[in-house]
Amino acid sequence: MSPQNYRQGRITRALRKAWTYLRQVTGDAAYENYMKYCAANESNSNPPETMTRAEFYNDAQRRKYSTINRCC
Amino acid sequence: MSKILKAILWIAVSLAGATALSAIAFERKEPLNAVWFVVAAIATYMVAYRFYSKFIAAKVLGLDDTRATPAERLEDGKDFVPTNKWVLIGHHFAAIAGPGPLVGPTLAAQFGYMPGTLWLILGAVLGGCVQDFTTLFFSMRRNGKSLGQMAREEVGKRGGMLALLAVLAIMVILLAAVALIVVKALKDSPWGTFTLAMTIPIAMLIGIYLRYLRPGRVLEASIIGVALVLFAVVAGQWVNASPTWSNAFTLTGSALAIAIIIYGFAASALPVWLLLAPRDYLSAFIKIGAIAALAGGILFVRPTLQMPALTRFIDGSGPVFAGKIFPFCFITIACGAISGFHALISSGTTPKMIMHESNARMIGYGAMLMESFVGVMAMIAACVLSPGVYFAINAPAGIVGKTPEAAAKVIQSWGFPLDPQAIVTLAQRVGERTLLDRTGGAPSLAVGMAQIFSGTIGGDRLLSIWYHFAIMFEALFILTVLDAGTRVGRFMVQELGGHIWKPLGQRGWMPGILISSALICGAWGFFLWQGVQDPLGGINSVWPLFGIANQLLATVALVVGTTILMKMGKLKWIWVTLVPMAMLVAVTMTASYQKIFDANPRIGFLSQARVIAAQIATGAIPPDRAAAAERLIFNNRLDAAVTGVLAAMVCALIFEAITVWSGILFAGKQTTLHETPYVATRWAEGD
Repeated sequence: MSPQNYRQGRITRALRKAWTYLRQVTGDAAYENYMKYCAANESNSNPPETMTRAEFYNDAQRRKYSTINRCC
Repeated sequence: MSKILKAILWIAVSLAGATALSAIAFERKEPLNAVWFVVAAIATYMVAYRFYSKFIAAKVLGLDDTRATPAERLEDGKDFVPTNKWVLIGHHFAAIAGPGPLVGPTLAAQFGYMPGTLWLILGAVLGGCVQDFTTLFFSMRRNGKSLGQMAREEVGKRGGMLALLAVLAIMVILLAAVALIVVKALKDSPWGTFTLAMTIPIAMLIGIYLRYLRPGRVLEASIIGVALVLFAVVAGQWVNASPTWSNAFTLTGSALAIAIIIYGFAASALPVWLLLAPRDYLSAFIKIGAIAALAGGILFVRPTLQMPALTRFIDGSGPVFAGKIFPFCFITIACGAISGFHALISSGTTPKMIMHESNARMIGYGAMLMESFVGVMAMIAACVLSPGVYFAINAPAGIVGKTPEAAAKVIQSWGFPLDPQAIVTLAQRVGERTLLDRTGGAPSLAVGMAQIFSGTIGGDRLLSIWYHFAIMFEALFILTVLDAGTRVGRFMVQELGGHIWKPLGQRGWMPGILISSALICGAWGFFLWQGVQDPLGGINSVWPLFGIANQLLATVALVVGTTILMKMGKLKWIWVTLVPMAMLVAVTMTASYQKIFDANPRIGFLSQARVIAAQIATGAIPPDRAAAAERLIFNNRLDAAVTGVLAAMVCALIFEAITVWSGILFAGKQTTLHETPYVATRWAEGD
């Protein structure tokens, strides 16, 4: 790899990392995380129910705003 | 890096911090530049994090990465989700950072920059961060139990009930205090009122988008929402310029208070996806953006602080709020130094998401350091204003009078130069009718922020846009606290009410929802209304009440923490929580006593009631205003009672804890620690 290509690769990687972080921290990636969890636990004796994106979003909202999650 | 190099580096950081702190504490001749504050804060945070938090993690709490966290053992993809520590600190910081660390330091700037800044920095590293970190750790070791549950299990049955009642009471006062700040910030301000009103339909639009159009696409929805909100800030100036529209959006304090109470009721009873959740996304984005912009602006402009290190008002005669530096500086600055409310967040969702035990140090201690820095920035923004302007904005009309000339005369007599024309011109430049009698801290913070922002981008041309951006930013997330808080308060009322009348306890039962929402809105609405009608500006009575309540909750968290440490056999290290606890007991009990009994009617609720009663008796109050005066008497007595009850509840909890402690210390009693048993992790250690 030429030095220039290497540098470009580094910038792309950094941008991709920042984008992933932003999606994680805002909750944009919450559904993907949940699906990953479901996939990993499919073979359990008591596998988790898979929800659609909309179902998951509504469920998460309901749980999130039932407890104290914002401060002064 | 070699050991020696590291040692040299840490010595340099410590020296920089010590030099900057002593400049803040002792420099009297030259006005200080904001850079001193940034250096003092960051260097102290670095040293405290590197050494003190590490000591707490290793020696006091014994964080153990071989032990599986609740997120690992109970992983369910919903509540218990192992989360990367950098992501989780983002969530946690967004949850703990609210309007408190912005408003408190702004108000406490009346004492000068020195006391507030030192309390923000040292109070955080020795108190607030310790409280957040230990509570997070204890909750994590108990599968994410709440502070109330931990109090019940570790201190005693009554302890749990007291904690629940204290939380509910604090919630009510907190909501009233923050609502009052919004009212004071938007009163007679068509631009600000329009912008904030627009955030409601914008939030609903985003809510519909997220539920029906593109479910769960939070990022894109938030970006659309933020763009719309920023447009609403700009559009506000056209509303302000149009005679018809500006009239429609010019509201009195009373009208705004009613509007906010109705809004709180609606937000609590409506489904979350429509208003609450989308507003929360918007406000989190704008909050983080504005805080980052403020930090950038301070570093870019490097303003000089105009406020003296100490003012004459340390004697207790301050116009912003009455009371001496001890205890009222420590009551006014709650969030930013130590905030009991954080203990509720630290024992809520965060402990269920921690991947490795060692992460609790960065998330608990680290996030509070960030909040403390927000407080220091707010202090800088308040102190870059000339003191004359600061007091003109923050002193109520009851003290300085209603016209610029009268206000300038009073403020000059305090020794702060102020040209009456300057305050009129400044109001015009920021796009407001007046800046006088704008108590509550938000407007003066917005003027300070606008000066810093416009020094970075746009200059004087954009001053009014920046001012209204800052007002929108504060009001937006105050409303988020308001609707989230009202909703949680509603659940608490339903839970408590369910013991008395079963159907009320069912969360989905519509009449129950309406009754409990009305109860909770009525409760904070009452205190809000009282603050709006108060001739002394309201902040003078409501904010100290909130500060006392919040610090009492912190006391509860530290009492629970000290008890757990003792039960863990860490007697040697209990000073870590015991010293901040003792400090808070001294502060809260002195403040409660003074707010109830002090002879000065501006401080003591009861003596104010007495003064008004005497005025009615001697006929100094005309008969047509006697009814209003009677209400003031009632309000003051009620405030005194609320303060007394809260303080008594915490005293009862402390008493209960002391019996547990003396059982361990002197009777050699065997106690049970309600920690979940050790399970070895199946994950590799570290990150």
